[in-house]
Amino acid sequence: MMKSINNGCSERRHVPWAGRKHCPRFACCQHYHSQIPLLFTVEDLVASDSEELAQKCSLSYKALLAIRRVLLAQHTAFPVSGADLYEELLSSTAIVSTSIPSLDKLLDSGLYTGEITELSGGPGTGKSQVCFAAAVHTAHRLKQSVIYIDTTGGLSASRLLQMLQVQTDHVEEQMEALQRIRVFRVFDIFSLLGCLHTIRCGGPQQASLGAGSVKAVIVDSVSAIISPTLGGKQNEGMSLMMQVAGALKTIAKDFNVAVLVTNHVTRGAGGELQAGLGLTWSHVPRTRLLLERSRGPGPLLGSTRTATLVKSSRQPCHIKAQFDLNWGSGSEEGLPGRKRARDSSDS
Amino acid sequence: MKPVSASPLSPSVKVKLLNAGFLTSEELLQLKPLQLSKEGGLSLEEALEVQQILREGVDLPGEGGAGLGSTALELLQQEERSIVTFCSSLDAALGGGVPVGKTTELCGTPGMGKTQLCLQLCIDVQIPECFGGLGGEAVFVDTEGSLVAQRVADMAQAAVQHCCLQDQDAEQRDALKDFTTESLLGHLYLMRCHDYVELLAQVQLLPDFLVKNPKVRLLVIDSLAFPFRRHFEDLSVRTRLLSGLAQQLIRMASQHRVAVVWTNQMTSQLRGGQWELVPALGESWGHSATQRLLLHWSGGRRLASVFKSPSQSESSVAYSVTREGFRDAGPLASSPSGREQDSSSQSESRQVSSSQSGSKRPRTQEGQ
Repeated sequence: MMKSINNGCSERRHVPWAGRKHCPRFACCQHYHSQIPLLFTVEDLVASDSEELAQKCSLSYKALLAIRRVLLAQHTAFPVSGADLYEELLSSTAIVSTSIPSLDKLLDSGLYTGEITELSGGPGTGKSQVCFAAAVHTAHRLKQSVIYIDTTGGLSASRLLQMLQVQTDHVEEQMEALQRIRVFRVFDIFSLLGCLHTIRCGGPQQASLGAGSVKAVIVDSVSAIISPTLGGKQNEGMSLMMQVAGALKTIAKDFNVAVLVTNHVTRGAGGELQAGLGLTWSHVPRTRLLLERSRGPGPLLGSTRTATLVKSSRQPCHIKAQFDLNWGSGSEEGLPGRKRARDSSDS
Repeated sequence: MKPVSASPLSPSVKVKLLNAGFLTSEELLQLKPLQLSKEGGLSLEEALEVQQILREGVDLPGEGGAGLGSTALELLQQEERSIVTFCSSLDAALGGGVPVGKTTELCGTPGMGKTQLCLQLCIDVQIPECFGGLGGEAVFVDTEGSLVAQRVADMAQAAVQHCCLQDQDAEQRDALKDFTTESLLGHLYLMRCHDYVELLAQVQLLPDFLVKNPKVRLLVIDSLAFPFRRHFEDLSVRTRLLSGLAQQLIRMASQHRVAVVWTNQMTSQLRGGQWELVPALGESWGHSATQRLLLHWSGGRRLASVFKSPSQSESSVAYSVTREGFRDAGPLASSPSGREQDSSSQSESRQVSSSQSGSKRPRTQEGQ
């Protein structure tokens, strides 16, 4: 994020153009407008050539360097020792279970807070179902709030209730859990950015209005909103996509929540499945799962799905697990969490 | 402090504003339009427009009243009755019918009864509330010219007769007075679109229409695939247009509380050395509808398969298309409305062999 030079600089008197917050183009700059590039942000100053700047602004080179050093010191990242990091990890990182044992195994026991996890898969492969399961588990078992950003209208409250009914018979507990799931419905990328911005500014705590602290932010689906801006001759889509990525990462890190996003799939040149949104996006999620229908005898039917770990920093890639979507319906299997989990570590 | 780069302005305006040193939308709103046009190097109209757009964004963070969002509990309370299909087993498979506020896609080869099901829904959405319906109205966007008014009249008549058989109390008898074939046809709004430009334009204008006609509870597009399957040189443009269209339809469904139903065609695709029938418009289009229903033949029976649904597990049920409309398969083809039979066992109707299926082919224009 860009920082205004006015906020960042403590030695204001050295900078002739500092202190004018609201009118960004002020007298002295207008004077030099034809000769020097305009400096508005710390980034601009750091990126500019100090020697040239000193000449053009008739400032001493030394003073400029001093300003530069102060700014850099203020905005730099402080080195953290690995031991501290580990300490912090142990004390603050939580692992939010998806409540699906075989998937948890793939994810090394669940969704890590501070990270982005992605589920990609074709239509009807159970991405939303996994999101629901994670949301219900967080809201009911962990008694934490969930922010659910629904971009496809796919959130079905009755399905959430159905899942909760399997977990508990108490209507009050079910209602409490449902209240902990806060749903935002956004249908275009600017609303999404606005929504993420609100969450970031108010903090997830405020957005959920005192119903416990937020431990998970779910975006289902991120591709539905980004893909209309990509393709054709538009080139703004990329920048918007990376803004979404940046906002999600900031939320994950700053508020220490687990972020779960879903993505569609495309077919590569060889006909193999790959996650959508291209290479640029592929660097955004820390962990990536590819969901597929298990090949059954017919063209469809059967609720078993195969999940493949495509990207992970903890587990070897390309391990697979199977899971069953019918969990939580109460009809097929009676007990919660007793999913038919047949792990197969082939490939 | 919302950054300018994240606001819904045109790229060229954004670049100008950023170059002029505006970083947040608050800075832009503090200036007078004249100042802004001077500072940012914009025309006065552009500056006014910028401020208007940004102000709207401030008033409605998250747009459409999303604001602070709503809890799942509130959403649960908002969930409305679904539109019954008159095929009880299909209603059961869909969890009570076609959901309002969601989008549903019907895929199938020609002659499977996609249009029939759409027409049936247009009639069923108008069933008065005391009969367990929604008492709404329907919009039918026709791109193929496949709507036959005579057929709608037949179905409407059958529905009226069906409700007449059921009337029990005074309220229902009262409601029946207004529930006639004429009123059914009168509350079905037809829009004919000839190509994809017309369709896109129509969808842009539909929210206004829905505001003016708040009783509309169903929007049908038959078919969505047809205008998009020709005239496209650049497929990436098509994908972008389609995904934008899908988002608009979803927004409409959730903001105006209408059920959006559209039909899609099938295409054949080479997969693993074999030709398979798959829904048209490409892989990523498959994500766009909340629910996806596949109509197909299986061993002489018409089957409807729930292929994608957030709330229902996948299942296949038999159905038939009769003179009365879209009905259960089997000897009890013209069974009463699905609402009473929701709980009736679904497997039972599945086992019933459909002797009637396909016997009455109401439409003649399509071959098998």
